[in-house]
Amino acid sequence: MKEILKALVDVIWKMPQGLLVTFKHMFKKPITLDYPKKKEPMAPRFKGLHYLERYEDGSERCVCCGLCAAACPADAVYMEPDENENGERLAKVYEINMLRCIFCGFCEEACPEEAIFLGREYEFATDSREGFIYSKDQLLVPHPRKESAFKRTIRRIRKIYGVEESR
Amino acid sequence: MSFYSPVRTNAAEVAKSDRLHLFKYVEDPQQANIDTFVAHGGYVAWRKALTSMKPDEVREEVKNAGLRGRGGAGFPTGIKWGFIPQASTKPRYLVCNADESEPGTCKDRVIMERDPHAMLEGMAVASFAIGCHLMFVYIRGEFGHCIDVVNRAVEEGYAQGYFGKNIFDTGYDLDVIVHSGGGAYICGEETALLNSLEGHKGMSRIRPPFPAVEGLYACPTIVNNVESLASVPHIINRGSDWYKSLGTEKSCGSKIFSLSGHVKQPGNYEVELGYNLKDFIYSPEYGGGILGDKKLKGVIPGGSSTPFLKPEDIDVGLDYESLTTVGSMLGSGAVIVFHEDTCIVWTIMKLIHFYRHESCGKCTPCREGTGWLERMITAIEHGRGRPGDVEKIESVCENIMGRTICPLGDAAVMPIQSAIKNWRDEWQYHIDHGKCQVKTNTEFV
Amino acid sequence: MADAVENKKNIAEGVPTVTLTIDGRETTVPKGTTVLMAARGLGIHIPTFCWHPKLKPMGSCRMCYVEIEKMPKLQVSCALEAMDGMVVLTDSDLVKRGRRAIIEFILMNHPLDCPTCDKGGECDLQDQTFAHGVDDSRFDFQKYRFTEGTEGSTFDDLRIGPEIVLNRNRCILCYKCVRANKEAFGEYDLGAYERGNIMEIHRAPGRQVDNPFSGNLVEICPVGALTNTDWRYKIRVWLTQTTSSICPFSSSGVNTLLYKDDHQQKIFRTTSRPNDDIDDGWLADVTRYGYQIATSPDRLQTPLIKKDGQQVPATWKEALEIINKRLNEIKDKKGRVCIGGIVSPSLDNATLHSFSKLIRVTLGSNNIDYRTQYRMLPKEPENVYDAMSARSFKISDIDDSDVIVAFGSDLVKEHPNEYLRIRKACNFHSASVYSVNPYRVKSADVARREMIYKVGTEEVFLNGLCLAAIEAGMAEGGDLKEKISPSTAAEAAAICGVDAEHLKELAAAMANGRKVTFIAGELVSRSRERLCISSALANLTRLLGLENKGQVSILPHYANSFGAGKLGLLPQPPEGIRNALTELWGAWPEAEPLTTDGMLINMKKEEVNGCIALGCNPVMLYPDREFARESLEKLDFLLVADLYETETTGLADVVLPLASWAEYDGRYINLEGRVQRANRALKPRFESKPGYEIVEAIAEQIGDKLYESSDQCEQEISRLVESSNVQPLPDKYFDVRPAEEESDEEYPIALFVGDDPHHSGHLTEKANSLFNFCGEAYIEMSSELAKKLDLKEGDSARVESKVGKIIVPVRISTTINNDVVFIPRNFSSTTVTALLMRKKRTDRVKISKVVN
Repeated sequence: MKEILKALVDVIWKMPQGLLVTFKHMFKKPITLDYPKKKEPMAPRFKGLHYLERYEDGSERCVCCGLCAAACPADAVYMEPDENENGERLAKVYEINMLRCIFCGFCEEACPEEAIFLGREYEFATDSREGFIYSKDQLLVPHPRKESAFKRTIRRIRKIYGVEESR
Repeated sequence: MSFYSPVRTNAAEVAKSDRLHLFKYVEDPQQANIDTFVAHGGYVAWRKALTSMKPDEVREEVKNAGLRGRGGAGFPTGIKWGFIPQASTKPRYLVCNADESEPGTCKDRVIMERDPHAMLEGMAVASFAIGCHLMFVYIRGEFGHCIDVVNRAVEEGYAQGYFGKNIFDTGYDLDVIVHSGGGAYICGEETALLNSLEGHKGMSRIRPPFPAVEGLYACPTIVNNVESLASVPHIINRGSDWYKSLGTEKSCGSKIFSLSGHVKQPGNYEVELGYNLKDFIYSPEYGGGILGDKKLKGVIPGGSSTPFLKPEDIDVGLDYESLTTVGSMLGSGAVIVFHEDTCIVWTIMKLIHFYRHESCGKCTPCREGTGWLERMITAIEHGRGRPGDVEKIESVCENIMGRTICPLGDAAVMPIQSAIKNWRDEWQYHIDHGKCQVKTNTEFV
Repeated sequence: MADAVENKKNIAEGVPTVTLTIDGRETTVPKGTTVLMAARGLGIHIPTFCWHPKLKPMGSCRMCYVEIEKMPKLQVSCALEAMDGMVVLTDSDLVKRGRRAIIEFILMNHPLDCPTCDKGGECDLQDQTFAHGVDDSRFDFQKYRFTEGTEGSTFDDLRIGPEIVLNRNRCILCYKCVRANKEAFGEYDLGAYERGNIMEIHRAPGRQVDNPFSGNLVEICPVGALTNTDWRYKIRVWLTQTTSSICPFSSSGVNTLLYKDDHQQKIFRTTSRPNDDIDDGWLADVTRYGYQIATSPDRLQTPLIKKDGQQVPATWKEALEIINKRLNEIKDKKGRVCIGGIVSPSLDNATLHSFSKLIRVTLGSNNIDYRTQYRMLPKEPENVYDAMSARSFKISDIDDSDVIVAFGSDLVKEHPNEYLRIRKACNFHSASVYSVNPYRVKSADVARREMIYKVGTEEVFLNGLCLAAIEAGMAEGGDLKEKISPSTAAEAAAICGVDAEHLKELAAAMANGRKVTFIAGELVSRSRERLCISSALANLTRLLGLENKGQVSILPHYANSFGAGKLGLLPQPPEGIRNALTELWGAWPEAEPLTTDGMLINMKKEEVNGCIALGCNPVMLYPDREFARESLEKLDFLLVADLYETETTGLADVVLPLASWAEYDGRYINLEGRVQRANRALKPRFESKPGYEIVEAIAEQIGDKLYESSDQCEQEISRLVESSNVQPLPDKYFDVRPAEEESDEEYPIALFVGDDPHHSGHLTEKANSLFNFCGEAYIEMSSELAKKLDLKEGDSARVESKVGKIIVPVRISTTINNDVVFIPRNFSSTTVTALLMRKKRTDRVKISKVVN
């Protein structure tokens, strides 16, 4: 008898208690994301896919100096320089092997021309190994473009290094 | 005939004096004429040296007289002549440094314009003393008139047998070449002058070898200033003891001082070395006091490359040693006076512009340093100075001082260093307020 | 102290020395040594910018400050002579402050464009700023920019020569380029203009910096102010690998470094690998830019086979089979002697030696020669010309020679490296240089006396020298006077058209000189009368005892000419070599030997039916183009191996692609007899193969493997090189009777054909940079002659000889005299050798203006 009573109490009292927990979560905000449709916001210093910046007139900032390649611990950067008709140096070939890249950001730090940055993009899966070798055309930002995050970055860098304006 | 640059001299006083000698006939319009010159006792020393003396004796005489170079460095002339290696079989050359370009200095110009034979006679005697048969006069290119006068004098000298072959039948040959400079301040420096004379760029050479060993065309060469050479005949004529009695113990003889700036009577004055600077500026025979009877601000006693003297320091003798004791130098003897309304930053700006423009560009500190100094000082003068600029200027000056091949670097920074030392508050005022502390004065005479 | 003792040992006895202390270490150096060099001797590095070991000190950069005890100011160590008892501090606080100040001053106006600057990574200024500078600048103004004349260039770059780009902003005014140009090369196309802080290095007004040594200016530039166009913006220096090599274009064997990238399989530039015994660190432009022949896309890609009159690509297997078949056919048809072998003296030892074995052992022919470019080669074995052209000679001995004679040699064109040595001897050791040539040459600018003899009177001149020496009682003539003509020096002088006094002066200088260097050049080698001239030279050598107090040599011209001689690639090698070879191979062909000349004649007569030409181009370079072409056309079988398609490959039945010298390890023997190694920098391009592999493949196909391993070949070579000594000159005087010089009224002007200063042989026109310096043939003549012919610079001139005519543009030169013209032979577009006749001593032409 005692056992029957106890079972009844469990059913009538404790089961709703458990269900309450279940039902409570129906009204909570979910912690997973509807991934391809929704995305997690990035940390401010997230290092994603590289991009090559341009000057405001659309010309490339990269002069193919080779410092990013020299700084790269994974030897992921390959470049061949060239010269344009104004005697400017620019990259004829600029390739980053994303399979090798460890996204350390040394290239960004080494760049003396403020040309390469690690962006926010992380969805660049492809189905072939060759596809992970990004060429210059793929890395260069389109011109013109709206957003001006780049200017902010430059300002910040200049502030850190205390570059003064000349008299 | 002779052209008179309207420069005041003390010729009348010199003519009366037994001791002063360089300017005796300088006001005589015919003095550039060889006949007048000879009538006034010219070329006597040349004849005496060549006919009755040995080169060694001439050299000893000049050495004993204690004549020191009048170009700026003040090196004893007789000793310099002795540096020629006697064993060398190469030809020897004498070069008269008539590239007078130190700002404020115009003493050689007067001698060349009005009494060119005095210089030529001195050169001839000096040539004989060092055994040279070809001498050069390197005249500053801008002195077109001097070149004409000296050329004419040389022609006259050849015509009357003072130069050329077999002079005074002694078998001694001596030729003169007058060379016009290319217009560079640096060519007043002896090695740069030699380079320029050889046809190269006027850039100083690294020493050693010194010109006395390897100079013009890699041959032993003596380079002397016009005034030093013009003094030589007087030493030969009157003897070294007489010359030694002039001036002070260590700075013998008399010297021409070019007085300029804010004084009532600027001009060239011959005085004995050791003459009091204050008297020189204020005495009615010479300077006659400050322009507009204003207060004195400072004096540059020896050409623009020497440090400033403050008013409290000017009670000093005009000679090599005394000026050193108050922190300046005799230099080429160009006394430049500034009155109280002069802005020192403006003055220095003008000076450094000159030195930057005249730097030859050979050695790094002078080439880059003068350019930097000019830009900093110009920025201060125009009110764009930044805090710490004065200290920066001082540090740059320190990095140039004594680190260059030739003395141009030192010359450029010495007035700046003394100007900052003496009037630091004025510099600071410029930086803080962006304008002059004193009324800016642009009527620089 | 130990160092001082050590140093003392190295100083020759009798040299006055001084002892000084540097940073607490005592050292003893010869008097006159600078403090900088004394410090380097101790291994103490003093930084410099304007100092260069081969130039006189200038003391302008002020980087090499040292502090000397008892001297108040800092001193520049590069110009300060070490004195006894000097106490030097190279690293005191004052010195460090001084250096820091200099770096700050230099960086003031130096743009920080290191990312775009090609010098980045190997820049003296970068390194020294890192070592001695500060990380911040106190200079807060705009940097000065030189913009004049650089419109259209973003970085103010200015092309001042075919291969040099100047950036004046980067220049730190060390003046090394201007000084080297002036002191070391005697060129005045670069100068310093303006003064003070706006001073600039610039080309001379209206000139291009295109002298034959201009590449060195770039190499010695401490910053990126002067850059090469070949290296410019191609690769970063730290991404390259270096391979040590030697120059394949000159007989000096100048040491070089090839900068290559293994990934791209490309050579990017050549720099010097200073070797004071040979080159002093200077390279001629042909050496510097010549590497481009290896990487040109025009290279032969596969073997070519002639099918129905057309050359078609084939595989190596096919080509070798055909070679085997055709060689056997000829052998069967005619017997063994009808095959000839011509080889380029620019190939390495292994190739030459195995080729020699292929011809002599496998094919059993004695017809082998490396001298394709000389006419009328002597048939006699062991002749005096061979002896005189293989004397022992040391380049570094030129330095302390007090009398140097350059005879019959346009040094800048033939031996640029030796020319620089002679300049050095003249500048630093006051040597007396005499230049004796049939026309005025550039290299005579350092000469105390330049003598110009009449064209074709070389042996008369040398006889005249002997006579002048005998007449002045400077030497015992013995029976020499009877053996030579004319009989007096004055007569000889008259025939040569030189001043008798000058002849006497030169004879006296050579007789009294302490150490004499006598260089004879290509004008002797190329002459039909080379035997006569060398005999006269041998007489002179013996008369004045020149071998005992100096060196006399007819200098070989090509990278391995000397080696080819030593390895016996002559039809009749000297007996010692022949015996050694017979011993090594166990056989020596019986057939009658033929020189290149003889081979060509016999080809024409169809007595030689097959020929193998390895790396050479006789049609273009043999001094009778039509003759060479016709002869080669008559061949049954012609096999040519070369880097490019040439005139000769056009005639060939089989063409094989040859690898360039940068594509295999090869050893070369320079004119001193020094064996040097050029390392492999790249893989052989396309399907090409090194010479020795080709030879081995042919031999294998024929069925007679030459060597089991390359070691075996190398061993044979080293035994040959060791065993062959300098031939002693016979202890007698030679008869020298000059032949009458024929003259021709119709063709009055003497023509000389040689290399352009920027080229060598037939390959260098494929090098882009060298092509930019000089891309087409020209006729060089004096302004007087041009005036007489009514020609102006750039006009087209028709040059005609009895056998041919060409049209070339006129170039007016200051270094050639009246009745002589010069045409370079390096360009396939101009068939200059078609004007020459192999039997003539002097080539004569007439010139007229081409009217459009």
